[in-house]
Amino acid sequence: MAEEKKSKQRHRVMVFESMYPILALMLILVACVELCDAATVVDVYRLIQYDISGVPFGSRFSSLNHHAASLSFQRGADLSRSVLILPLRELDIAFVQDYISQKQSLGGLLILLPQTFRPGNVGGGSLSSENDGFRSLLGQLEKLLVHGNIPFPVYFAFENEETDAMLADVKKNDALGQQATATTGGYKLVISVSEPRKIASPTITNIQGWLPGLRAEGDSSQLPTIAVVASYDTFGAAPALSVGSDSNGSGVVALLEVARLFSVLYSNPKTRGKYNLLFALTSGGPYNYEGTQKWLKSLDQRMRESIDYAICLNSVGSWDSELLIHVSKPPDNAYIKQIFEGFSNVAEDLGFQVALKHKKINISNSRVAWEHEQFSRLRVTAATLSELSTPPELLENAGSLSDTRQLVNEDAIIKGVKLVAESLAKHIYGHQGKDIKIFADDSSLAVNPFYVRSWLDLLSQTPRVAPFLSKNEPLIMALKKELEDYTAEVSVQHESLDGSFTFYDSTKASLNIYQVASVTFDLLLLLVLGSYLIVLFSFLVITTRGLDDLISLFRRPPSRKVKMG
Amino acid sequence: MTLFHFFNCAILTFGPHAVYYSATPLSEYDTLGTSVKAAVVYLATALVKLVCLATFLQVSETEVFDPYQEALKAMIGFIDVAGLYYALAQLTHRNISQNHKFQAVGLGWAFADSVLHRLAPLWVGARGLEFTWDYVLQGLEANANLVFTISLAALGSLMWLRKNKPKSLIPIIYTCAIIIATMPSITSYLKRVMGWHFPKIVGFELVTSLVMAFISCQLFILCQRPSL
Repeated sequence: MAEEKKSKQRHRVMVFESMYPILALMLILVACVELCDAATVVDVYRLIQYDISGVPFGSRFSSLNHHAASLSFQRGADLSRSVLILPLRELDIAFVQDYISQKQSLGGLLILLPQTFRPGNVGGGSLSSENDGFRSLLGQLEKLLVHGNIPFPVYFAFENEETDAMLADVKKNDALGQQATATTGGYKLVISVSEPRKIASPTITNIQGWLPGLRAEGDSSQLPTIAVVASYDTFGAAPALSVGSDSNGSGVVALLEVARLFSVLYSNPKTRGKYNLLFALTSGGPYNYEGTQKWLKSLDQRMRESIDYAICLNSVGSWDSELLIHVSKPPDNAYIKQIFEGFSNVAEDLGFQVALKHKKINISNSRVAWEHEQFSRLRVTAATLSELSTPPELLENAGSLSDTRQLVNEDAIIKGVKLVAESLAKHIYGHQGKDIKIFADDSSLAVNPFYVRSWLDLLSQTPRVAPFLSKNEPLIMALKKELEDYTAEVSVQHESLDGSFTFYDSTKASLNIYQVASVTFDLLLLLVLGSYLIVLFSFLVITTRGLDDLISLFRRPPSRKVKMG
Repeated sequence: MTLFHFFNCAILTFGPHAVYYSATPLSEYDTLGTSVKAAVVYLATALVKLVCLATFLQVSETEVFDPYQEALKAMIGFIDVAGLYYALAQLTHRNISQNHKFQAVGLGWAFADSVLHRLAPLWVGARGLEFTWDYVLQGLEANANLVFTISLAALGSLMWLRKNKPKSLIPIIYTCAIIIATMPSITSYLKRVMGWHFPKIVGFELVTSLVMAFISCQLFILCQRPSL
């Protein structure tokens, strides 16, 4: 009886003892439960990669497989195998500049942009002063990145809860001085895409719409033509995000609205003017207006000579009280004077001002700053209507990351449309000096704000970098169809982009964020499991076969020897 | 590194079965055949259960605890018990003492259960880059399941193979057996109605399994006394 009790007690003790490893494991579990995040996937957009005459620019790599690091890393730490996560809110331009200019090696750069810069994001006009600060910072960053040769992948992403949580975690770890490597766990960022390849033959597509004027019977002479031109493609730091709402989405929308108004006027022979109208949506704008040049050269000589003047629209979406007319012919030229007077009279009626700005063309310089210069080089009188006062540099102001829908004011576009339409109508119908408003509000020819808004919204969600647009891109088809509705003849011209510009693909990717455990953790787990199994083994041997058996397991070899002896 | 994690979780899930076999006298009496037979019976039972579940159960979209569905699931769970009965009582085993028979049957049963339910998720999931605690918890659950199955086998052998039992203990034996048999329903109740997360459930299972093992061990010893 006593023996039974003893064995029962021993049994009970054994049971309790065996619970200890399990309790310990449970404690570890409870302490570390917050590490149970699943992998997250984020859309990221790559920095543009291009060559000008063989000189490389932009980010030269695309695939990424490194640990995440934040700005709070210890000075002097080696970041060549880490991806630096930079939120725009805490960006230090000088730091990035140093890193790029000193050619320090970095595994990759991930820039987090606030949600307000997302192309589809229409709302959020509040905190505009903060946004203005971000815009200027973003502009500086873009300039730095686009004109530099960066030997590591650079990606843009939009902030969301998951990236915020990850960044907070990474900052905490970095502050403790633990660099995330294979042995200390942390977050691993993986973008698995193939190496970027050159885009074989990038095409630029020009769309022109021809609205013929009223030719009297028996009159065989060519009617004069007025051209309205706008370039629709963009260029920016992240080609998948270059929606260019102001540069030049506003110009395209204005052109379409003017085309619509004149198509209504010209549909009735009684109100058809004695001028042909030529509407052209050109591509290749950021690249010295190559598309415009090729389009002009492809025009019939007679047609080109019949162009009285051309109005080019460039960025008419965010001005307030003054619009500028840029010309290359001297201001005292008779044609220029006439055009300017017409425009300024209409502007006065509408309640704002236009100013004339003259910039001489330098034939030896290949840089074409304004679209009208391409016309002037072919002896066609032209002017550019724009809110910009200084000519943009090469690849600037062509649809940067900060050029989103919120930057554009529909009313500015509507005022611009009224200006162009009324001025053209005055010239066509010969009403100069008379106080007649053809496109008055509340008339059947009023400017349609809903039309303007809907096209502006569409363009603000469509990235339009020319080398990445195929020949039958939906946007091009849509623009073509729109012009077909308003004009009599539409023709689409495909040209290939000038050889000195080379672009590389891979503009959009998915970033996988993994939370990884370190090797030391795995080793620790192995140790714990090993000891657990050993304890389990000993426990079972002791309870079922007795303690002596366990000891004999370890004493077997010597006892055999004794037996042999 | 992640294969390492897979290896860790695999030894946590399947190691105890091997350890149990080698540590106890089962290995000495070469009861592998019994365990294999029990595993085969488990496979057949699982198939039958699957067919019944597919036929009678409605899949609900949300994680709502439906008492009727749960009762149906519990009844289908008793097919498990029937399978265990068949393995214990009806199959002919070599001459091994009752003590070892239930252990071997329980071991084979639990091993088949672990392999069937846990090997595939482990292979697919634990080798990924992302680290989660899920597979470690699953391994612990496999351990608890092993203890449960052996306790159930012990109680089963008491119920069906032992003829002379003290009258007072019979209701206890039956209640314990019913509790163990309905463990799946209890855990799903905890998960859905009480909203317990996986770690808590696994902890609960481990504690309960040890308690049940202890109780069934005591019952077994008590029942062995008259035959002495």
